Amino acid sequence: MPEQYLEANQSRVGPPNPYELKLAGALSEIFASGSHELPAIISGLNNLGLNAPDGHPWDETRFRSEMRRLGE
Amino acid sequence: MTTATASAPAGAGVRAGRAKTKTVVGTRRQLDASELAATGLRDRWYPIYPSRFVGPGDMVKVRRLGVDWLLFRDARGQIRMLEDRCPHRSAPLSVGQHLGDRVACKYHGVQVNGDGTVVSVPGMPGCALEGKTVTASLAVEEGADMIFAFMPLTEDSEVTEFKLPDRLDNPEVSWFSNYAEWNSPWRFYMDNVLDPMHGAFLHRDSHSMFGGDTSARFRIRETDRGFFFEKTDQRGKNFDWVEYCRESMDYVDLEIPYADSAGPGGSFGIVGMSTPIDAHTSAVFHWRTRTVSDWERDVWRFMYKTTLEEKHWVVLEQDRELLEALAADADKDEHLYQHDLGVARIRRVHDADAQKQAAILSEGIA
Repeated sequence: MPEQYLEANQSRVGPPNPYELKLAGALSEIFASGSHELPAIISGLNNLGLNAPDGHPWDETRFRSEMRRLGE
Repeated sequence: MTTATASAPAGAGVRAGRAKTKTVVGTRRQLDASELAATGLRDRWYPIYPSRFVGPGDMVKVRRLGVDWLLFRDARGQIRMLEDRCPHRSAPLSVGQHLGDRVACKYHGVQVNGDGTVVSVPGMPGCALEGKTVTASLAVEEGADMIFAFMPLTEDSEVTEFKLPDRLDNPEVSWFSNYAEWNSPWRFYMDNVLDPMHGAFLHRDSHSMFGGDTSARFRIRETDRGFFFEKTDQRGKNFDWVEYCRESMDYVDLEIPYADSAGPGGSFGIVGMSTPIDAHTSAVFHWRTRTVSDWERDVWRFMYKTTLEEKHWVVLEQDRELLEALAADADKDEHLYQHDLGVARIRRVHDADAQKQAAILSEGIA
């Protein structure tokens, strides 16, 4: 058999950038605390000192918009 | 989600000019039940290869069910799957040239179209081979990021209707596909997924299967498309059940709880399939699914790409490494116990199919 195809990452075109890794890590931490509701997630991000990409604190519009971009 | 690409009568290409013996399409010989069981049961749809691996103009060779095949897209982008063998002198078509709606063999330039019909013999125009459909071509479909093909037993096989598993054809379910090649027989894959109890041991250190008891009782529950093999005393804690489905293709359907850190949406689902490459190696297809919508869907997809996919991969590698370490005859002289009812059942199903298909082949030369 030729070279065996074993590729761990098949859902993305390249490695996540530092911002994406930090955001995912923060979200994991918030989710792990049991917070799965939108307001709790947003305040959790703000409490961790993370800002939205435009430099402002997260709000629902910013969060939805950014997740839409990153989730596709 | 499903795009019909090309359909042809199974094995249509091997009709002309052959004696009426029943050989397995692509093999030129009969196979007995054990060979069928080893290289893959026929007359069903199988996932073949990720769609993304076959771009316009590509000529891709894949070995499936012990036969070499050529995948290419015709000028309209439709995927085509031909036996990788020129009807003239059997050179691999895959090393030839893509000519839009046809391929040209490198050896003598014989041109074969996507239906397996010889459209030109440049070295001898007007040759009787022109116009003959003598290369096996398969019915193919694309859906859920994958190329699927109907693998016929004989030239007389009827192509069954293609249907994706429900979970992959439901707009409320978000999924990601995954493809891998394992150096283990396809039957070991089926044994492994019909054995949910291994989750509590082999995968106990994983992100998703650390919960629940390490002892359980199981039962088999019939469904209209196969059967459930499930724990009687635990649900939603670990790999607690699996449904084996026999529709246009064979697949397994199951759910495994996510830890809170995976975000909203509850358990994730797995649709799993294995296609034999040959008797010793397998192409393994998984779709990780979650029933989520709106922002929760976006969050899951983001988390999957950044963190979850790698965690899933670690689990899948645990399966691969164990199965590849098994002896080739690991399923002989075992000592099965109650947890292995699902394994025993799937083996009976496949053995019965292999016997039935071997009988069809042997009837052909009576």
